[in-house]
Amino acid sequence: MERRDRESANGFALCAVAAEFMALDGAGIVMISDDDDFTSLCTSNNAAGALMDLEIALGEGPAVDASRGGANEDTNLLGESGSNWETYRPEAVALGARAVFGFPVRLGAIRFGALSLFRSTPGPLNTEQDSDAYLMASVIGRAILATQAGGSHESLVGELDGSSLLDFRVHQASGMLAVQGSMSVKDALVVLRAHAFGVGCRLSELADRVVSGSTRLDPESRAWVDGVENGIDGE
Amino acid sequence: MERESLLIATLVELADNLVDDFDVIDVLTVLSLRCVEAVDVDAAGVMLASPDGELQFVASSSESMTVLELFQIQTNEGPCVDCFRDGLAITNHALSEADGRWPLFTPRALAQGFRAVHSLPMRLRGRTIGALNLFRTHQGTLSDDDVIVAQGLADVATIAILQHRSALDAGTLNAQLINALNSRVIIEQAKGMIRQSTGSDMDAAFNRLRAHARNHNEGLTDLAMRLVNKSIEANGLDEWTKPKVS
Repeated sequence: MERRDRESANGFALCAVAAEFMALDGAGIVMISDDDDFTSLCTSNNAAGALMDLEIALGEGPAVDASRGGANEDTNLLGESGSNWETYRPEAVALGARAVFGFPVRLGAIRFGALSLFRSTPGPLNTEQDSDAYLMASVIGRAILATQAGGSHESLVGELDGSSLLDFRVHQASGMLAVQGSMSVKDALVVLRAHAFGVGCRLSELADRVVSGSTRLDPESRAWVDGVENGIDGE
Repeated sequence: MERESLLIATLVELADNLVDDFDVIDVLTVLSLRCVEAVDVDAAGVMLASPDGELQFVASSSESMTVLELFQIQTNEGPCVDCFRDGLAITNHALSEADGRWPLFTPRALAQGFRAVHSLPMRLRGRTIGALNLFRTHQGTLSDDDVIVAQGLADVATIAILQHRSALDAGTLNAQLINALNSRVIIEQAKGMIRQSTGSDMDAAFNRLRAHARNHNEGLTDLAMRLVNKSIEANGLDEWTKPKVS
């Protein structure tokens, strides 16, 4: 369970940093499974934990919405009349929240979950907080990916600094590997990241080799094979 | 086609696209394609800034790896970065070996055969949200008219990002930018799947995706998402045939 502990420790730090960074009262990270199940990765304090538990138990709230559809356009305020979250609203207010926010943690079509933020005073996020929340959500996505790919703490730090996930070839390569290995694009990205860690090359370089066909996954064993595959021409 | 009629046709086409639930990547792709027809350039593309100020590629007149590479480099340096940072147009910048302004970008652009670059800011209420990048394979200058037309198209691109014209607060704009950038990632994931499944190159993979989306009146991003989620097979997409050059 060492890995689980490490995930939680990284997650907790991220939540605590997120809450403090944005001068809010609490933050949490919810993970969504392929079957639409939600689990709490971490929360920054007890109040955030109670809100997260509530949201997961009810299956409604800002982080659930953000995880599912990337519906991140509105900062939904408690206390305003609204048709959404009828059960969640009064319960969240009872727990002391006055404003809650959800930001999707995703990478293209890959859904990791959402960053959930709350404040005990009402009102929307200011422009800077809003930008910061997107930045945090992006950092969290990279951290989750790196952790799932089994990276060391040092490589995680490198991941957070790097911009390799902005490289289009990485996403093209994930799509190709998903077909080669008959897996989801999410799993393919984790496999790609893990292999880059394993052989000690940059993610972009490995992705480049996958796209050009000089490295691929064996469809049966899912082992990495070097050499040009028939039928796919290098570009 | 005369430039004037081409421009009118482009604006009508875009206006048609902008009415309801349009796909922002598709609209920006159309815009890039028309840019190449209306202005004396050989490739065009749009880069947008994420809320934390990182520039990312979203649409281009060509999906070839060589052109996409030039946008990829510009996440670090290049005319788009400078244009975005200063909020000022860069026009008629001739590329040369001796030019030390963009040490990563310039040699690659030259190697791809480009000789001049231009970058026009996409501005909205005092905030620059991205840049329209134009590449030319021949030296020489864009006319003032060309620059005006290109800036006009950049302004249209800016409007396209907004989608919902009513709520223009910073939070909404951030969400639109993030959604546009994420759409591009979904499309790249789908292109990879199409390439692997059909053996096509990335350029053809994109065109096939776009052709199917258009034929079936489906959003480009929505279709790409369905492909990644395996609710449609890459081999089930409509064929795309390269249009004959007229």
